[in-house]
Parts: sequence; C-alpha cells; structure tokens
Amino acid sequence: MIFNVLTALALNGFAMGMIYALMAMGIILLIRAIGVLNFAQGDMLMLGAYISLALIVDLKLPLLIMIPVALLSFAAVALIFMFGVYWPLRNASYPAAIVIATMGAGIAIKEFVTLVWGSLPMPMPALILDKETGGGKILRIGSTYLPWQMILTICVGAGAIWLVFILFEKMYAGRMMQAAAQDKFAAEMLGIPTIVTTAATYIISIILACIGGFMVGPMFTVNVTLGTLQLRAFAGVIIGGLGNIKGAIIGALLVGMVESFATIRFLAYKDAVVFLMLIVFLIFRPQGLFGEKISDKA
Amino acid sequence: MKNTKKVLIKPSTIILLVACALFIVFIPLRYSGYNLMLYNTALIYAIVVFGLSLMLGMGGQLTFAGLAFMGAGTFYVANLCSGRWGFWVNNSLALITTPIVTGLLGFLIGSVLLKLKGTYFTFSTIALVQVAYSFYQNSRPISGGPDGISNIAPLRILGFEFNNYKRWFYLLVVLVIIVALIIERIRRTRFGRSLAAIRDNETAALTLGINVYRTKVIAFAITAMLGGLAGGLYAMQGRFAGSDMFTFERSTLFIIMGMIGGINNTFGVVIGSILVAMLPEWLRSLQRYLQLIYGLSVIVLMIFMPMGLAGIGSEMCKRIKRKITGIHAKKALEEAKK
Repeated sequence: MIFNVLTALALNGFAMGMIYALMAMGIILLIRAIGVLNFAQGDMLMLGAYISLALIVDLKLPLLIMIPVALLSFAAVALIFMFGVYWPLRNASYPAAIVIATMGAGIAIKEFVTLVWGSLPMPMPALILDKETGGGKILRIGSTYLPWQMILTICVGAGAIWLVFILFEKMYAGRMMQAAAQDKFAAEMLGIPTIVTTAATYIISIILACIGGFMVGPMFTVNVTLGTLQLRAFAGVIIGGLGNIKGAIIGALLVGMVESFATIRFLAYKDAVVFLMLIVFLIFRPQGLFGEKISDKA
Repeated sequence: MKNTKKVLIKPSTIILLVACALFIVFIPLRYSGYNLMLYNTALIYAIVVFGLSLMLGMGGQLTFAGLAFMGAGTFYVANLCSGRWGFWVNNSLALITTPIVTGLLGFLIGSVLLKLKGTYFTFSTIALVQVAYSFYQNSRPISGGPDGISNIAPLRILGFEFNNYKRWFYLLVVLVIIVALIIERIRRTRFGRSLAAIRDNETAALTLGINVYRTKVIAFAITAMLGGLAGGLYAMQGRFAGSDMFTFERSTLFIIMGMIGGINNTFGVVIGSILVAMLPEWLRSLQRYLQLIYGLSVIVLMIFMPMGLAGIGSEMCKRIKRKITGIHAKKALEEAKK
C-alpha cells in the first residue's frame, strides 16, 4: 500500500519536475543569451496550454496535424514576444526595465487569454484516452495506478530537452548561438547574425514552455493560474545553479519531487517547503548544485 | 553682466507642491466612503513602494520582499489589537512598534539573503514572498488561516479615534509626507550616496571603502520597516487582515507601481501608487480590457520612458526650460546684432 502511494507520488513529482524543467531550461537559455530574467515564462506556458486546447477541442485537429501547427504558432508567439518586449528595450539604460516589461507582458497575456477564452477553468482531454471511461488512460500495475499522461509528459519533456542539447552540442547553428550568447560583440565580428541567434533562442525557449503547457493541461484543468508554476521553475534554476542548463534541469526535477513528497506531511505548506529549500540552498550553496563559480549576468 | 540669479525653489517643485495641496484639499471633499478608502489604500501602498524605491531606485537591488514585510506588519498589528491571543495592546503602541519589529526582522533576514548578489538576491526575495504567503494563508496561529483576522480595534491616538476614512486620509497624507521627507533626506546622506554608488558599480563602491554588504542590509531593513508600517496601517484602516493581499502577483504590482511613477523619484512613487491603485476605479467602463491595457502600457512605458512618469515630467521641464532660454538667447543675439 505504502509502496503504491510512493510510486504514484514519485511519478507525479517526476512529471511535474519535467514541466518545471522545460520552463527552467527556457529561462536559462534566455538568461545566458541576452541576460534577461523572463517573468512571463509561466504565462507562456499557460498560453501554450490554451493554444493547444483551442487546436484540439475547438478545431478538432488530429494529433499529427495539430503538433506542427501548434509548434508554428508557439514560434510565432515567441517572435511577437521578442520583438514586442525585448527588441525595443535591448539598449535600455535601466536594466530592470526589461524585467519589468516582461512582468507587464505577463499581465497582458493573462488578460488576453481571459478575454478570448473566459476565466473559467477548462478541461483538456488527455493525449491517450481510455475508451471506456472517456478520461485519461491509466496504467495499472498490480494495485498501482499510473496515469499515462504523466508518463508521456516525462517522455516528451525528456525528448524535447534532449533535442535542445543535441542542437547546442552537436550542430553548427547551436554553436553559433552559444558563441553569440557568450560574447555578442565578438560573435558579430565573426559574422554571426546575432538577431537571428537571439530570435532562435527566444523561439526555443518559448516553445519549451508551451510544450510544458500542452502536457500539463490535461493533468490540471487549463486555467489562468497555470502561470504561477513559473516560480517553481525559478526555484529549480537557482538550485541547479544559474547559468548551468544541466543543473537547472536536475534542480527543477528535484523541486517537483520535493513538492510531490511534501504533500504527505505538509499538504498546505508544500509551497513553503519548496521555497524554504530554495532559501537554504541559496544560503549554503549559492552557486547551486552544479555551478562552478558565482557569476551574475542578469 | 552675467545673469547669475539663483532660484531657490525650482518652478517644477512649486507646481508639484501646488498639485499636492490640491490633492490633499479636494480628494476628501469630493470622495467619501468606499472611494476615499481606495485613495487611502493607495497612500498605504505608496509607503511600501517607498521602501522598494529605496532598494531598487537608489540601490539597484530588485526586491519583492516589501509585501512579505507588509504582511508581517499587518498580522502583527492584527494579532495584538484583536484580542485573539487573550490580551489587548494599546493600538498606537502596536502601530509604533510595528516598524521596529519588522525592521529587526528585515535586518535578520536581510543579513542572510544579502550574502547573495544581484539576480540571486532577487530570486531569494521571491522565495521569501512565497514562504511568507504560504504561512499567512494556512497558519491559524499567525493569521487566522483562510478566515483572516477580523475585529481589529480602531486606531486611537491620544484619545482621538480614527473611525472614518476622512480622518484616515489626513493621517495617511501626513505619514506619507513624513516618509517622503525621510527618503529625500536619506538620498542626501552618506548612506544614500553609498547606495547610489553600489547601484552604479558595486566593485567601484567597494574600492571606495563602502561597506557594500552592511549598506545593503540597512537599506533592506528600512524597506522592511516601511513595509511593516504600511501593513500595520492597512490592518487598522480595514480593521481586517486576510492573506489574499500578500501573493506574489501583488508584489509584482508594487514593483510596477514604482517603475510607472519613476523608481528614483519621490513624487513619482506616490503618483505611481495612486495611478496603479486607482486605475481600476477610474476605468470602470473599460473593466474588461483594463488589465490588458495596463500590461501593454507597462511595456510601452518601459520602452519609451524607463524612468517612469516622473522621468517624462522632468524631461518636459528640461525641454520647456531649453525653449525659454533659447528664446532669451535669440533675443540677446538680435539685440547684439542691432
């Protein structure tokens, strides 16, 4: 019995951790590339969930067509976001201005979504449906119940993260992006079009968050408060070490796990547990789990 | 002969002072009840934003913690003055001790969190707000849990009871002016200049012999004091303390208040607070689109005027001045030609 509960909690924690990791990776990519802390990342996740919902439920697109359409619209959102909020502000005299602008963007996105889809939470069908109950299919092993949606979330999240790693480590385009992130001026001297690399970074970052929204929608209902998940992603980023992608992913997974297991004893205080963990980490290991040295770029 | 007449008070200051006087005189005449309470709340917000402006505008440290300390102040006063712990504390005594208590709390927390720098510090204050909110929301001994704390005794100073919003308005105006003067004074002290040096370049400040860490901790403690004071006032004015007020979303709102008005400008802080707090009231008819407009205008404002509305004001003053002096110069030139 205890074992069943623990397995279910572990799966839940892992799946939520994966969602946080998708967001955390986007946050880190943006911090590394342009030094901007994006406070609208959670709202991007929410927007992604709503866009997926519209494509699946309202337009009733089959999954194979829906996925490319969704990815394209996520990329469009990313470009609008970049040219609306970052581009005019890139030479701002006050560095906090960009951060505040992303907060404003977060508010605007939230309201936009409320205006278009209304403020009521909306259910979203799971990716694998159970034909008998009509709900999400559940994997039964003995007396352990594991929802397929969570297992899929872990697979999709891991796949997306792996693809981004391949891009950065193995491909020329990824190296160009890394070069532009490290030293914009030198990269421009080498003939790297930094506007393209910045746009690519934005697209990847926002798409990751939106995929998170697409996967998390069926687990909860799709509603405006999904945006608050970004704070957990922030926690993951810090625990892993700001600027370290692998660390951020592991940190985010850790946050998901801790949050999930904290429900056993401190249901009402699970937020407090997560963020107290963050504060303890900040005090005793401010460079994060995998950070080599403290560098402050953002 | 050169014209070296030095103006003691700048005309822009006079305009602002007149505007303030009009505000103080007309608002309580024109509004009452609920609307006046909104203005009062805006003034309370302004006190919190002053604290944030000290950290962000003067010190360049983005912090969300103001709201957590506001909550601490609120529940400190609420617990002492509602008799739910079985004893009552004199109201004015509770209000006076609030900033001291939250200031000490801020000093302790700040001396831990400010070991971190820049973005790390910002993150840690986000965590602080979250932890505080989750306690305010759930812990019955601290905050009455989801029910909140009601029946807070009305504020009474030397037998004078603040039992309607008009009296509160005057009290708050006086307090805001006092806080504004203190902030203006701080700006001109060694401490204020140290903060500015840290904002502009931390390494340079260090080499100049400024104790960066201590300066930041003191600034953080002042932020906490102002937050606590505002929290205490908030609890006493509404005579109710609930946790809804202290979410992370709210605390981004406070940062936005500061940035809209002009984070490094004392008048700007008040203007920004009143604007953000009152906009939902003023634009009732646009209610549906209000938040959207508001979010977009924050972006637009940051793009065109990162120093906020006060920045626009001073920029316009400069331009007008240039124009006037330009006219004078032209006349002088023409006369010289003759």
